[in-house]
Amino acid sequence: MERIRNFLLLIPLFFLLVGCVEKETVDDINLINGIGFDYAEEGRIIGTILFPVFMKDQPPENKILTAEAAIKKSVLQDIQKQSADPIVTGKMRVVLFGEELSTKQGILELVDAFQRDPGVGSGIYLATVDGTAEEILKGKYGIKGNAAHIANLLDQNVKREDLPKTNLQRFLADFYQKGKTPYIPQIKKISDENVELSGVGLFKSGKIIDTITQDKMFFFKLLVDKFSEGMHRVGIEKGDAAIRSIRSSHNFELTGRNPFEVTVKIRVEGVINEFTGNELTPKITKQLAKQFEEDIARECMYFVKRFQEKEIDPVGFGHFVKTQERNFNIDKWWAAEYPKLVVKIKPDVTITEAGVIQ
Amino acid sequence: MAFMKFPFLKKKNDREEIKKALSKSKDYTTVTYLNKKTNVTFCLTFMSTLVDEKIINDNALPPLLEGDFYRLEDTKNILPLSDVQVTEETDKLEQKLFNGYVLLTMQGIENKFCFFSAQKEVSRNVSVPEVEFNVIGPKEAFVESIDQNLNLIRKRLPIKELIIEEQKVGKLSKTTVAILYIDGITNTENVNTVRQRISDIEFDAITDSSYIVQMISDNQHSPFPQLLDTERPDRVAAILAEGKVAIIVDGSPHALITPTTLVEFFSSFEDYFLNWILSSFLRLVRIFAVTFSVLVTPVYVATLSYHYELIPQDLLGLLVTSRRQIPFPPILEALFLELTIELLREAGARLPTKVGQTIGIVGGIVLGTASVEAGLTSNVLLIFVALAALASFTTPIYKMSNTIRLIRFPFLIFAELWGLLGILLAFCFFLTHLLRLTSLGRPFLEPIYPPRIHDLKDALIRLPFSQQTNRPFFLQSKAPKRFDDGTAKEKKDIDE
Amino acid sequence: MTQIVPDNRKISPSLVFFLIHSMQIGVGVLGFQRIIAKSAGYDAWISILIAGLAVHIIVWMMYKMLRIADGDILAIHTYLLGKKAAKILCSILILYFVLLTTAVLRNFIEIVQVWMFPHLHTFWFGLVFLLLVLYVIFGGFRTVTGIAFFSVLLPLYILFLFLYTVPFSDFTNMLPILDHSIKDILLSSRDMSFSIVGFETLLFFYPFIKNPEKSKKWAHLGIAYTTFAYFYLAIITFAYFPEAQLDKNVWPTLTLWKIIEMPFVERFEYIGIANWCLIILPNICLALWCVSRLTKQIFSVQQRRALPVLALLVLVGISLLVTRDQINTVTNITGKFGFYFNFVYVPILFIVILITKKVRSHGKDT
Repeated sequence: MERIRNFLLLIPLFFLLVGCVEKETVDDINLINGIGFDYAEEGRIIGTILFPVFMKDQPPENKILTAEAAIKKSVLQDIQKQSADPIVTGKMRVVLFGEELSTKQGILELVDAFQRDPGVGSGIYLATVDGTAEEILKGKYGIKGNAAHIANLLDQNVKREDLPKTNLQRFLADFYQKGKTPYIPQIKKISDENVELSGVGLFKSGKIIDTITQDKMFFFKLLVDKFSEGMHRVGIEKGDAAIRSIRSSHNFELTGRNPFEVTVKIRVEGVINEFTGNELTPKITKQLAKQFEEDIARECMYFVKRFQEKEIDPVGFGHFVKTQERNFNIDKWWAAEYPKLVVKIKPDVTITEAGVIQ
Repeated sequence: MAFMKFPFLKKKNDREEIKKALSKSKDYTTVTYLNKKTNVTFCLTFMSTLVDEKIINDNALPPLLEGDFYRLEDTKNILPLSDVQVTEETDKLEQKLFNGYVLLTMQGIENKFCFFSAQKEVSRNVSVPEVEFNVIGPKEAFVESIDQNLNLIRKRLPIKELIIEEQKVGKLSKTTVAILYIDGITNTENVNTVRQRISDIEFDAITDSSYIVQMISDNQHSPFPQLLDTERPDRVAAILAEGKVAIIVDGSPHALITPTTLVEFFSSFEDYFLNWILSSFLRLVRIFAVTFSVLVTPVYVATLSYHYELIPQDLLGLLVTSRRQIPFPPILEALFLELTIELLREAGARLPTKVGQTIGIVGGIVLGTASVEAGLTSNVLLIFVALAALASFTTPIYKMSNTIRLIRFPFLIFAELWGLLGILLAFCFFLTHLLRLTSLGRPFLEPIYPPRIHDLKDALIRLPFSQQTNRPFFLQSKAPKRFDDGTAKEKKDIDE
Repeated sequence: MTQIVPDNRKISPSLVFFLIHSMQIGVGVLGFQRIIAKSAGYDAWISILIAGLAVHIIVWMMYKMLRIADGDILAIHTYLLGKKAAKILCSILILYFVLLTTAVLRNFIEIVQVWMFPHLHTFWFGLVFLLLVLYVIFGGFRTVTGIAFFSVLLPLYILFLFLYTVPFSDFTNMLPILDHSIKDILLSSRDMSFSIVGFETLLFFYPFIKNPEKSKKWAHLGIAYTTFAYFYLAIITFAYFPEAQLDKNVWPTLTLWKIIEMPFVERFEYIGIANWCLIILPNICLALWCVSRLTKQIFSVQQRRALPVLALLVLVGISLLVTRDQINTVTNITGKFGFYFNFVYVPILFIVILITKKVRSHGKDT
């Protein structure tokens, strides 16, 4: 009995060869790092994929393949016909959408394909392009490859500068969240060696309908992110100052119900990095802080008005009110309550340091 | 086997037959003497290869030839030797002769004879342990002579409770096997089991303690050693004090310790000579090393063959470029390198020390560099395999480190089949195997499973001696307390 | 009538914690969030607590019954109905556990097929896995317990990995609390109970516990820990996904792992799925062990003879289930059976046994 059992344990080892699964050996596949979609005529799309060809002691070479098709999977299929190795999506870093595509046709179907694909991570960056995606992917940026460069660019701006937190999961969460609309960063090619972050694109049901420009992103981040960092220039009579917000937080409070009134408290703790005037006295510091507060209130109010007009809500006022209200009706909210929503901004700026110079 | 024809193995009582059989060997010697004082003729019979002729010439012969030697019983008085026996049993005759005794017979007396011992001691000196070498602590190791070894242990445990039982094992070799335990501490059940298992051994020649290990293990088909072997008398003494049983085999410089557990194989005895923080750290390092050593190549094969998603972006370029030129799939590459390491190790072990070292270094460097340059293996894998080999040698017990080198191969095969899932399956198989293993009927994975919090104090980590108040629970010692930890002292406040 | 279990085959009471907990955690953990959120939305975390509480009560009843009958489930039935009827009634449970094993294993293979290896052969993987299971069970109940023990301890680190999602989470998702009716919440509790059944194995291994009275505490701790684990996971999930997105994800736990990026490893879900292999192992081992023991008692077949046959049945079962619909049907049937057995049948049995005991002791007195 013992002997038979031991023997039985060996059999599968031989038969296992039959049960083998398909391999994806790392050097025999093309790892898509970045993919871009552009609008072609009659609802068709042009897909551009970017994969690195790694070389010894050299920056990876950017390889680009393009195809035109009706949906994403068939784009990949068409591209596959041009490639010697299988194309896999598991190491995707950035997905770019051309301007025309994101304003005319919308990106929902494409994004849906990404959330369905178990190979694609939730941390990938989505971005729209001022121009066409193909154009951007064709440049040559940085030493780590184009996709890595764009991804790092966005990453860096989220962590240290004034781009709000963003990735595929954030986009999906905002999209699915009732009472909130999604946004993604916008990038722009400035030369063959350079891209820049040019703003934030605001979506309504999958289409971009508004863009926030680079210089206003600081205030946008204050509104949408719970905690943020970033730099803002404040001007008073005595001179201009660059204030770096090192710690800031916002807080929502429902202060009225008919019509709904939300008070947003924004607390900023900043340091002065640069001052063009002669002397930085405590009085001037106070003035600067005051001016900064005014700037915040003005800009944020302007944003909220704009959002209400365009019927979008990247800040998530709807979601916030829903958490405070039982039996919240989302349809009624969009139709009647959101346009009438009163938002009050209460900024509170503290300047803690003024650099190493007195 | 010429021995088998010896008739005395069958016919016990026939002296003549024995004589006839023995006289075929050239070392069988019979000398007849006459005591001139008493006029007694006597005869000395012995195996010249086994006895020390100096003892016969210097100690035995003078009193026999010139003393008051009338009857056979007189030998007890006149011989200045401790081990003198007068007996009528002929069946002991042959055994005594082969143990280095001299047979003394008197002319005219047929049914009575005398033995005295004159063994020749052929043994090397106690030397420094080679397998379990330590920087700190005692530097003596067992030798082949059992008396010498027992002496080394006795010196460390000079108490009457240390019991040494002897058994003869092996039809031909008649090897002396000693079972050591401390009466009043060691669980009698354990001792009985060991005694029983040793006396159950049916084999012709026992050459070394490793034979005993394989014959008394609970599961003889397991790659894991289930008895700890050590060449350090200090370790044996310490472990006897814990309440375990030691087995010492004549002719073997390795003592066996049972029952034992898996974690014990990863504790070096040096751990007890170091401060507890250091030794705990070293133990954790060793456990990490073992895990790393077993898993690193399988994980390499699994991720590179199936799970490229897991590899961080920056590492990916490195891996891809290092593999680009290689014509083989990762599994072949890994097997190739692993086997090369095994070859180097085996060659190094078979050759004399100096040549072996040279081969190891030359082979390692030359083969490694050449195979990378030739594009047969990737340099990343080369680093991993070399690290894994290094890590596998951190295991203090040699037999266990062999096992660890072996078990990575099933892991490799499973990794090739189903990637990480395969590795986990292989892991489950080994886990189950270890769960099913017992050492002397005690669970092998103790104190991890079944969980015994008390025994964990000296397992993966080692707490200070003041915490080790109890003997390991799984031994079910008769005296569970090691020492009295004293009445709880009141803690003094600062500056008191 | 039942053979007495030798002492060296018994397990110490504290290990009941691991047995109960490991049996309750299985493939359900990977996808329960969506199911419980269907009725009660994001108030479903309350349902988890209610379901957990219910399990505590049921286990308390089980211990009472087992003490009265002094044996396992068969002894309970024998106590009430006599030998023959008990055997007939209990043979239904054989079917249940075989189905349970099939459902668990097939669900796991489906996950592997969807997420990792689309080409994985159900049959071959099932064969190797079941051989592993047989190897475990042939080692006896102590080995089964050992596997349960390690399957709880080794993957413990995963609990902490979920914290990687917190920067992307919005904990206000769960507000306002109690936005759903009591009925919805109770419905959710019922859905939850499908995931946390498995503790009924206690009815089988009770005779294997050394000092069963002492094990009570550990059994309840085990359930509390399970409830905590589900609760923790539900909170993390609800904060990470908006309700509408959760509804789209069949295996939210796996989707959660997609966000994890560590310096040496990205995309934890692949490691997680492989790890789940160890987590479902005790599920299957314990379930098959229970059936084999039951067959031994009912049909007097040796366990070592019954087991290969039962394993073969499971193997055939998983090979026959191909589409997700079929798999879901079997899963639902087992879940429903488990629910009715644990939460309806056991309480009834409990009341009946109490009455019987009263009547009998009363009869003796007079």
